[in-house]
Amino acid sequence: MAPAELSLKLKAGSGNRVKDFLNANLVNILAALLFFLLALFLLYPIIAVLVKSIRGPSGFTLEYYRTFFAKNYYYRSLFNTLLLGAINTVVCLVIGFCLAYMTTRGPYPLRKPLKVISLVPLIAPPYLFALSLIILFGRNGLVTRMFDLHWQLYGFAGVVISQTLAFIPLAYMMLENTLMSLNPNLEESAYDMGASEATILRTITIPLMAPGLLKAALLIFVMTIAEFGNAAILAGRTPFLAPDTYTMITGESDFNMGSVLSVVLIAPCIIIFFVHNYLLEGKKFTTIGGKPVASEPRKITPVIKVPLIIVTTAATGAILICFAVVLAASFYKILGVTDKFILANYLDFTSNQAIANSIRVSFIAAAIGAVIGVLLAYVIVRGKFFGRSFIEMASLSGFALPGTVLGIGYLLAFSAEPLKLTGGIMILALNCVFRFLAVGVEAGISKLHQINIEIEEASADLGASFLTTFYRIVLPIMFPAFIAGFIYTFMTAIVSLSAVVFLVSPGFQLAAVKIFDAAVYGEIGIASATTIKLILIVMLCLAVLNYVTKKTRLGSGLKQPVA
Amino acid sequence: MKGKFISVAVAAIFCVALVGSVAAEEINAYMGTSPDNNAKIVQFIKAKTGITVNQSFQSFGEIEARVKAEAPNFNADMIIGCGSSTGFMAKKNGWAVPYVSPAWNGVPDVFLDPQGNWYNIGNFSFVLVSNKDRLARAGLTMPKSWKDLLDPKWKGEIVMPSPLSSGTANMMRFSFLALYGDAEGWKFLEALDKNIHHYTRSGNAPTDLVGRGEFILGITSDENVKKRVDDGYPLVWSIPIEGTGYDGTFVLILKGTKKLETCKKIIDLLGTPEFSAVMAEIGYMTPRPAENKLYGKTLPKYIKLDLDKAADDKPKNNDIWKAKLRSTFE
Repeated sequence: MAPAELSLKLKAGSGNRVKDFLNANLVNILAALLFFLLALFLLYPIIAVLVKSIRGPSGFTLEYYRTFFAKNYYYRSLFNTLLLGAINTVVCLVIGFCLAYMTTRGPYPLRKPLKVISLVPLIAPPYLFALSLIILFGRNGLVTRMFDLHWQLYGFAGVVISQTLAFIPLAYMMLENTLMSLNPNLEESAYDMGASEATILRTITIPLMAPGLLKAALLIFVMTIAEFGNAAILAGRTPFLAPDTYTMITGESDFNMGSVLSVVLIAPCIIIFFVHNYLLEGKKFTTIGGKPVASEPRKITPVIKVPLIIVTTAATGAILICFAVVLAASFYKILGVTDKFILANYLDFTSNQAIANSIRVSFIAAAIGAVIGVLLAYVIVRGKFFGRSFIEMASLSGFALPGTVLGIGYLLAFSAEPLKLTGGIMILALNCVFRFLAVGVEAGISKLHQINIEIEEASADLGASFLTTFYRIVLPIMFPAFIAGFIYTFMTAIVSLSAVVFLVSPGFQLAAVKIFDAAVYGEIGIASATTIKLILIVMLCLAVLNYVTKKTRLGSGLKQPVA
Repeated sequence: MKGKFISVAVAAIFCVALVGSVAAEEINAYMGTSPDNNAKIVQFIKAKTGITVNQSFQSFGEIEARVKAEAPNFNADMIIGCGSSTGFMAKKNGWAVPYVSPAWNGVPDVFLDPQGNWYNIGNFSFVLVSNKDRLARAGLTMPKSWKDLLDPKWKGEIVMPSPLSSGTANMMRFSFLALYGDAEGWKFLEALDKNIHHYTRSGNAPTDLVGRGEFILGITSDENVKKRVDDGYPLVWSIPIEGTGYDGTFVLILKGTKKLETCKKIIDLLGTPEFSAVMAEIGYMTPRPAENKLYGKTLPKYIKLDLDKAADDKPKNNDIWKAKLRSTFE
């Protein structure tokens, strides 16, 4: 009797010890696991690109960099790319701000339509604008012919215009979010005390928005210099780094030079990333009151009103016209050449598989990305271990990584055994997960900062195990962040081209790549019809997602994809 | 509740991800003809054998780059449609699985490798295309000789593909080098460059750009010209008096495939007169005699070519091309 009792006791004891150990160290174990994932799927591919750029067939060499800096061509390419990024960022921010201001502070009836128009291009491939511009303003475009104009669309100007139109939605989305989370009471009190709209803007709104503006600037800059669809279609002979990198890899299979171009593309992004972090140091304005609030419409003075109206009308007008062109093109055999109304473009089913693949990849990526994002945020905020800030840095670095870099990195890192992933669908999903991780992580961090650790401690003191606490307390609080990460990853993954274009393989074609091929190839009708189909399907997906989250009464995070 | 929702969602997603890999007889192939023609070939194979061919559209140049980068772990079972240079390279490096197909008996030697490393399903060429309307509006006529393209009146009105990404452009380059000899050939290309607006990614892109009237002249692959004329583009095409070059559309089985028998079935099918008829209908010069829908009964005049030499010279010529033609931009 006695020995049996003893052994039973021992067993229970050892069981408890395992449990205690787990309870005490689960955060650390989780951190180690996440660190491993980050190292494998984010750092390793980047290092692979760095190594490739300095390692020739006969050992390490700086020859490739020498070539880069010796050739006028590459220098011009770099210059054009940076200039494009700078112009784009500024213009997109200005337009995005005007739109966001109108939809959060402007008259009620305008808010919803403006918001919809500004957001729709987010789920269309960015190079759609290049297509519309050719149809309208090309050398034989509809408008060009109508007014017998002689302008040059192909070149720097064309790329800037199409890229700006393509990234207005992103700028709008981020700035609207920032404006929504500013407590309007401050502005309203200032207004009540007689401050003019301009003064309020200058002294309250814009300074309070600084962190959001900086973040948006960083993201737009990085995304424009890496997105090469518009440049590949409209650049003509003007060199840009992203399309050059693409030709270097896919056309010449020169991975050394391709890696050098990528590294050169990373450098400015990393610099801006650090400047951004430095500027934001100690300037985190946490949202007072927590919940996003829409402001009452105020009387806006004409000085502000007129430019606002001009900018918003011009921007939404341009977006609408481009979409109208795409919609029209999808119903014509060749818009502007043989104007015969047909439905054949929609009945072309070769693109359906690609659309299905895109949705599948984006869904898998969004699910994995949202889970990892939430866990990372938890570990970063609650963990107390060595290297915590490193993990934070790494997981937020996605903001600053041009897509081409991770595309080539994945190709270099995962094309040979034992880590062979190329040729499958997971490489596409994982690539999207780690590229777009930052948004989910950041949303998670800001949510966690809103709750006091005492709630978790209380739960633990009352005897709940770590898992129970995590499951019952932490997860519900972080659910909005989960949804934010999910939706952002889903939407960005579905239209993004710059990284996955290196990773698609026969049988795993994606819609964004398919549309790009059709566009480059001249199948404008098919490209347009596929785009429209993709937009409709993505909207449907988002609606379903929205419905599901609402049904489960967890939808408060939906409105803030970017915290 | 809330946690459950997540786990259910995740589980559902993985289920969705797993379904869809249902096994049927199917292979993955790199296919380098135009998207339309790829689809035609895929449909033909499906109709005759029931085999599903998964494919992604890439240009010849891109397929070669891809194969070079992936070797020896290829992500496809076959290539259906690549340039001769890729075929020769695959044979030399042992990337192809040799298979001597009985179905190809009696086909002339230029269309197959005696050891069965590659098969050629059809030769294609490049032609000069022009936009009728723009030509008339500008009061110009179709050039008779390639040299006529050097006239400054065409400045900024000609497009052609870039040999860095397009196999068709590589064919144009080695054809002009063969026609004029290396030294004179490069001089010609440099002079031509002054009139070229820009170089496109795909060998067929000039057909569409000229068809839309964006540019007056294009040097382009012939594989799509007939279809675009039928579609209603105001296109005229011709082959200047010096003639045109050609390249094959090679098919080969990639090493490491787990579906060798399926691949063999496809090779067999591609050797039939029926398939040659499909390719001739598009405009290809086929291994089995068939009436060509683009050129009709009169064969175009061909420039004398050495495809082996062209394949060997490709990397060197890419370097020269970049050095000579890239530094001159504005």
